[in-house]
Amino acid sequence: MRVEVLLFGPLADAAGRDSLSVNTDATQPTARDVLDALTQAQPAMRSMLTACRLAVNHAFADDATLIRAGDEVAVIGLVSGG
Amino acid sequence: MACAVAHIMDGPLNPSVTHGHMDGGAGAVVTFLGVVRSEEHGARIDALEYTTYDPMAERILRALAADAIERFSVRSIAAEHSRGRVAVGECSFRLTIASVHRREALDAADWFIERMKRDAPIWKRPIPAPSPAVIDGAAI
Repeated sequence: MRVEVLLFGPLADAAGRDSLSVNTDATQPTARDVLDALTQAQPAMRSMLTACRLAVNHAFADDATLIRAGDEVAVIGLVSGG
Repeated sequence: MACAVAHIMDGPLNPSVTHGHMDGGAGAVVTFLGVVRSEEHGARIDALEYTTYDPMAERILRALAADAIERFSVRSIAAEHSRGRVAVGECSFRLTIASVHRREALDAADWFIERMKRDAPIWKRPIPAPSPAVIDGAAI
C-alpha cells in the first residue's frame, strides 16, 4: 500500500519537502510498518526518525494502529512549541 | 460551567486579553505569556518562525485544556499559540486559566505547559539577527 506522509519542522527541512510517499509491503500496514518503510526509504533521516511518532487523523497512533486508505498520516518529530 | 478553548493564530499574540475569564465565579485568573527571547542556543536572533500542524495542534491543546479542567478543577482554560513569524519581545503563546482559588490555576498552568511542550505539533525555527557587517552594509 502506498501511504502519503506529511512532514513538518526539521523533518520537512531535512527532506526538502512537506510530504513523502512511501510503499509498504502490507496491504493494510500498521503505523510501525509506515515508520519502518519511511526509514528504509530515507536513510539520511534515520537518526531523526528514531525520535518520531506517527499521527493518524490528527491523533498520535500506537505502533499497531492500522492505516486505512484516506487516512491523514503525519510524522511528528521532537516538538518545540511555547 | 467549565470551558476549554484553544486556537492557533497568525503572528504575535495580544498579551493583554483576559477579560472573558473574569465572570464573577473565579477568584483567580492566571495568565502565562511565552515571549520570544533575543537569544536561542547562545546566538542572537531577530525572531522565531513557528510551523504548526494546525488541526492536530488545536485538537491536542483543546484535549489538554479539558484534561486540566478535570484534573485541577479549574473553571476555564484558554490556550493560544502563534504560527509564522514572531519577533523578539513579542508573545507567541498565551495561556489563561481561571479558578476559584489561585493554587489550582497555578498548578494547572505548569502541568499544561509541560504537556504542550511534549505533545503539541508546533516547531520553531530561529531567524538569526544580522551580523554587524550586514547591518553596516560593509565588511568590518
